Amino acid sequence: MKILVLNCGSSSVKFQVMETSLELIQANKDSAIAKGSVERIGMSDSRLSLEVPGRKTYQEISEILEHRTAVERILKVLVNPTQGVLGRVEEIEAVGHRMVHGGEKFASSVLVNPEVEEMIEECVVLAPLHNPHNLRGLRAAQALLSGVPHVAVFDTAFHQSIPPRAFLYGLPYELYTRHKIRRYGFHGTSHRFVAIHTARLLKRNLEDTRIVTCHLGNGCSMAAVKQGHSVDTSMGFTPLEGLLMGTRTGDMDPAVLPWVMAMEELTLAQLNAMLNKHSGLYGLSGVSSDMREIQKACADGNRRAKVAFDIFCYRITKYIGAYAAAMGGVDAVTFTGGIGENSAEVREQALAGLGFLGIDLDVEKNRNLPRGEEIIITTPSSRVAVAVVPTNEERVIARDTVRVLGGVMPSFSVPDNEAPR
Amino acid sequence: MSERELQHIGVIGGGMMGRSIATKVSQAGLQVVVREISDERAEEVKGRLEAALDHQIERWALTQSEKKATLSRIEFTADLNRAASCEVVIETIHEDFEAKRALLAELDALLDPSIPVIVNTSTLSITELAQGLAHPERIVGMHFLYPVTTTRVVEVVRGQVTANEPFELVRKFARILGKVPIEEFESPGFVTTRVMLPLVNEAIQVVMEGVATAAEVDLCMKLGYDFRVGPLEWADRIGLHKVHNWLDHLFQETGDQKFRPCPLLRKLVRAGHNGARWGQGFFKYDEERNRLDRPPDDTPQLG
Repeated sequence: MKILVLNCGSSSVKFQVMETSLELIQANKDSAIAKGSVERIGMSDSRLSLEVPGRKTYQEISEILEHRTAVERILKVLVNPTQGVLGRVEEIEAVGHRMVHGGEKFASSVLVNPEVEEMIEECVVLAPLHNPHNLRGLRAAQALLSGVPHVAVFDTAFHQSIPPRAFLYGLPYELYTRHKIRRYGFHGTSHRFVAIHTARLLKRNLEDTRIVTCHLGNGCSMAAVKQGHSVDTSMGFTPLEGLLMGTRTGDMDPAVLPWVMAMEELTLAQLNAMLNKHSGLYGLSGVSSDMREIQKACADGNRRAKVAFDIFCYRITKYIGAYAAAMGGVDAVTFTGGIGENSAEVREQALAGLGFLGIDLDVEKNRNLPRGEEIIITTPSSRVAVAVVPTNEERVIARDTVRVLGGVMPSFSVPDNEAPR
Repeated sequence: MSERELQHIGVIGGGMMGRSIATKVSQAGLQVVVREISDERAEEVKGRLEAALDHQIERWALTQSEKKATLSRIEFTADLNRAASCEVVIETIHEDFEAKRALLAELDALLDPSIPVIVNTSTLSITELAQGLAHPERIVGMHFLYPVTTTRVVEVVRGQVTANEPFELVRKFARILGKVPIEEFESPGFVTTRVMLPLVNEAIQVVMEGVATAAEVDLCMKLGYDFRVGPLEWADRIGLHKVHNWLDHLFQETGDQKFRPCPLLRKLVRAGHNGARWGQGFFKYDEERNRLDRPPDDTPQLG
């Protein structure tokens, strides 16, 4: 069956059409027949692009003022006799939607109905920057493809198995009961996908593994995946916590915040922008938020870039140690995301001191990776395997859509993962 | 009609307020046309707006790419006709009755009658300004507070003859900007200016009487009532000549003694000590308008 996957941001819609079914998923043979995006929604020069394997990328520029128009254009180009891949829009049998925040309400992917929609609406307060756009995209697609089921797949759902000792902060308990302040974690679809594929690569049952997954992209997060369940993750209430990122601080002493606000006379908006957009690799190095630029600057002897690079790698090392401890051991460490898949330097430095843990990196293999492949980069004698697994969140969304419709979608909820009310 | 798409906004006048409004409108994702009286002025206004964005970047409020996106949606021109293609036009020229009236007459002749014209004023009567126009019903008052990029409130003012449609469209516009619109009927000084000015005037009177120094008056209000800025520094930052003009205008309009500008304010204005931009008002400032003579007690307290 053909599934349309939609990922709606504030001014963009990314899409993929997947050819998939329960059998194809089982055989790992589900695949994208087209993918693309609409960028600059709301402008007079919005750009729609469509990539079909084996063809030249198609682009068109026109005025697209809202998400609904964007989805309309996507459907139109998909059935276009020259550029498209579908004969009729009706060939799309279901739509899978990426949702950033599912709060505590969603521990699984779900079929969208009015009740679910209302619950997603209630999560807007937790992710005011993302959920409204996700919802806008969902409503647009529902209006245009009213005859097919829509499935919501949440970034947070996979981490709902995290126990209270890992998800609660040391704040007054009322803040949890009143405002649901807790760790939620993000990149859930990615962590889940690479954990499953790592187990497959190790030829082991997921249920018998302890895997540390490192999603290093624009945003960076790590997860401790024990027996297939997320038991801890580095991002928290928002995607700011944990690792150092392109422009985000990651972990820091919260007492710094009121201090800086007072000394620099900052407003809340300035403080938020500072933490999210002016910090991380960019703020430390003064060079760039892009890891490739940082590595170039390091090679040129830029010392601040080197410090930024070192901090980035050090945090990963620290979390690997912490998560190995949290799981009572570790069988594999997996890298994914733009940096995780492409920076041999980051992987090498982050793993350098971890011989004591049983990691023996095959340095040559690490430096000469075939692009886009799932591969193990430790020596055969290494007690802990290190893998590189390219992530594919759209594929997970399509798979979950099929599973929900087939009635075989598992819940990530586990016993004893609830905190007292 | 208020369901109409708002995509293009005209801002007539690129002064401090005009630039701040243009920046905010662009940051809300709308296209802006800023009109100035000459190409040279338009170019200068662009430079100043850019400098203000650079300052925001230094203060971590904005990124380089956000600056680029903001600028990409603003056009600077000397051609008033460019305003004709906008769905709403805001005038933000200086607070002078005759000048505003002349501009409104020009706009009235140029723009389709369905386009609301917003008068940005803190003390002038929009009803009086609209008098004699072919379409006085489209004139709506809007009192933005500086800096427009961060203040959350805007006063939306209905004149005697303002029609519902343009008024509702302007309220919708305020919401698009992320502001809380306070709906008001026309009255001199509206709410913000009318309530603030007597407080400032009284603070000046207190200094003149020698009850306390200017620094002490501000400190009292900041530490006592949690004012973010003391009333005298506030006046310095607005410009004392402006504060004087507003008071004088409200005094003439209402005849109420509480608006009679304090003689000390007059003195400072006559001496050209108009406030932060001039390096001196009630307090002293450096070229970047940082206060120079802040007493030690007037610094942030950590914990």
